Formats: sequence, C-alpha cells, structure tokens
Amino acid sequence: MKRRAAICVLPFLLTACAGEQSVLDPAGRDAQVLSDLFWVMLAGAVVLWLFVNGLIFYVTRIAPRPLGRRAAEALIIGGGVVFPTIVLGALLIYALSEMPNQRASGEGLEVRVMAHQYWWRVEYWPDGASEPVISANEIRLPTGQRSEITLNAERVIHSFWIPALGGKTDLIPGRQTRMSLEPVRAGQFRGQCAEFCGESHAYMAFGAVTMPPEEFAAWLEAEAAPAKPPEGNEATRGAALFLSEGCGACHAVRGTAASGAVGPDLTHLASRRTLAAGILPMEKAALRDWVSDPARFKPGVEMPGFDHLTDAELEALASYLMGLT
Amino acid sequence: MTEETPFRHRSIWHMVLAPVVWSLHFASVYAITAIDCAKTGTLDTAQLAIAALTLIALVLIAVITWRSWRQWDYLGDYTYVHDKPTVKHRREFLGHAGFLLGVVSVIGVIFVAMPALFIGSCQ
Repeated sequence: MKRRAAICVLPFLLTACAGEQSVLDPAGRDAQVLSDLFWVMLAGAVVLWLFVNGLIFYVTRIAPRPLGRRAAEALIIGGGVVFPTIVLGALLIYALSEMPNQRASGEGLEVRVMAHQYWWRVEYWPDGASEPVISANEIRLPTGQRSEITLNAERVIHSFWIPALGGKTDLIPGRQTRMSLEPVRAGQFRGQCAEFCGESHAYMAFGAVTMPPEEFAAWLEAEAAPAKPPEGNEATRGAALFLSEGCGACHAVRGTAASGAVGPDLTHLASRRTLAAGILPMEKAALRDWVSDPARFKPGVEMPGFDHLTDAELEALASYLMGLT
Repeated sequence: MTEETPFRHRSIWHMVLAPVVWSLHFASVYAITAIDCAKTGTLDTAQLAIAALTLIALVLIAVITWRSWRQWDYLGDYTYVHDKPTVKHRREFLGHAGFLLGVVSVIGVIFVAMPALFIGSCQ
C-alpha cells in the first residue's frame, strides 16, 4: 500500500522539470538543442542498460552454460570494444556537429553584461546605438532573433547562465567573452551565476524576460527614459533622503543628481521582477528590509546597511524606490 | 618470433609506447590550436597540422600495436592468462598489454582529433 502510494506521487515530481529555471523546459533555440541532446543520450543509456543487464540475466539465469572460445571472443570484442566505440563515436559526432551553431554570432541587439560581486550590470546596445541603455540584474531579450551577449567581469570569474534559454559562458576579469541567445517564446525565466564567485555566489541570480520584438522595443524605449519624479509626500521625502543619505554616490537614478556607478542603476528599479539580483521579490517590505540591512540577505555585499534610519524614513525611501517604474 | 626479440620481456617501454604517442599527439594538438588562434585568429593552419599529426600518430600506433600483437602470439597458443614467472609468460603479458593499450590509443587519437573536423573557429 505504501509502495503504491509512493508510485502515485512520483509523476508529480515531474512538475519540477518545468518552470522558469529548467533545462528540460527550453524556451530558446540553444536550450532546445541541449535538451534534445540530453534526451538522445538518456534514451541511448537506457537502451544500453537494458541490453547489458538483459544479457547478464540471460547468461546467468536463463541459459547458464559455458560459451565456446569463438562465441566468447565475439561477445567480448564485439560487445566490449567495437560496439561502445561506435556508439560513443556517433554521440561525439552528433554533439560536435551542434557546437558551431551554439557559437553563432548575434544580429541586431547586443547586450553587454558586467559581473560584479554579487550583481550584474547590463547594457543594451541596439543596432547602431552610440550609447547604451543601462540597467541591472535583469536581462530582457526579443524573441525570434539571435542577440549577441558580450561578457566581462570586474574582479573574479563568474558564469552567465539562463538554463531555459541556452548554455553557460564564463565571465573573466580583464578578458571579454561572448555568447548569443535566441529565445523562441516569450516568458519569464531565471538566470544564475554558475561559477563560484564568493560567499554570496548562490545569491547572485537575475530575472530574464523574453518578449515579442515590438514589445521589447517599447520596453527598451521606456527603459532609456529618465526616472519618474516622486509622487506624493512620502515618496518626495524618500527622494530627498536618497540624496542626503548619499545613496547617489553609488547608485544612478537618471534624471536626478544621483549618478554613482559603483552599484546597480536604479532608474527603473521597480519595473524589475526581483530585488537584489534575483533573491527578493520586488515589494515595498522587502525593499525596506534590504536597505536597512543588505548583508542579512547577501553576506559580503558592498552596500552598507542603513539601519540608523527610523522606520518612517525607511518607509519613505522604499516608497520613493517603488515609484521608480 | 619468440627468439627474435630477446629482451622485450625485460622492458616495459614497448608496452607503453602507444599511449606515449597518444599523449604527444594530444599535447601537440592542443598547443598548435592555441598558438594558431593566438597568432592568426583562425584555425586553417591548425586543422592541416592536426590532420597530418593524426595521420602520423595513427601509423606509429598501428606499427606498435602490430608488433605487440605478434609479441603476444595469441594465435600461436590462444593464451590470455600469463601468470607464470617465465620468460615466455612475461613476454606475452607485455605484448598482450601493449596490444590493448594500442587499441585504446587509436580510439583516443581519433576522438581527440575529431573536434577539428567540426569546429572551424576559435570562438
């Protein structure tokens, strides 16, 4: 009875294969290829497993008798040397033939990503642009076209990975690496730093959003615009606090006096899906907690805590930031 | 066959020669690819060099494997157990092991060279 119940529960575990950070639920051309490769290899492994174990079962249980020298040699040389060599060779050729496509260059949009400990600076360079649209901790890409992704790191090696869209590529300080991604359907996904980069490596994630080209163009235009001025008393007080507390020394809010480039650009902070590089929801309460003590959520973060502010001041600051859509 | 090679039962060099060729091929292929990419940014020269090196390595390994096969002398007595402290057993053991290492080395060299067939860029 217990076993039957366990078996009934098993299919529900398959739901873990879908979702916004799954290689088995591809939404990009490259991820589709990798997923196909996985299924082909898995199928091959299952067939081989059944064949070898079937053979063992046959010669030990069903027909246990000594083999002649020739039959034994044919079995060992054929099944042990020739067959696996051919299978591995075929799988190698299949995988190798897919590799040049994975390195194809992008067209149109170029996204430049700079990895910091522990967040991502993101620059969008549309075709022919003379200056970038600067954002952070979220990657947006148009569907149906291959975008070039240029990668750099500030101090240590990181790795850029959106499992639903494609493979991963390292970001290396002092050296530019590249990759390209071609999303095939619109959706919301999650990326993650895939190379250990310090104590908050696990907290270095990012949101990824793919959108139809025209929606993407509209979003990019909005992203390029300066920040909205604060609305209401509380947000206005928050905006003043933002400047008087020195937040602008590290963070830029375009259209205001805040023009720091040490930390993430906050011009359209509240339009992002997540806070603090993919680890907190974009909500007022989370924002207040984060500003008051960032190291509680992300050990080793460079941003100091602002726990000397009163609750009302933190509330005002969060109000202002939540208005930056 | 047996008396032609009087000291092969005392040396393991012949036995490990095929993997040595494989390792030299491996190191050369990696070095040539890195140098070509750094100097020219393309793989044209490297692909030719890899093809030539692979051919040379395969010929060398084939010769070594053939000599090991003869040293094993399997078709002479059909023995693949060499557990006696005699000259014949030592010689056949070293031939047997050298032959198997030769087979593995052929596969290794081909698998190492294969990416150069498919990947034509330094990216």
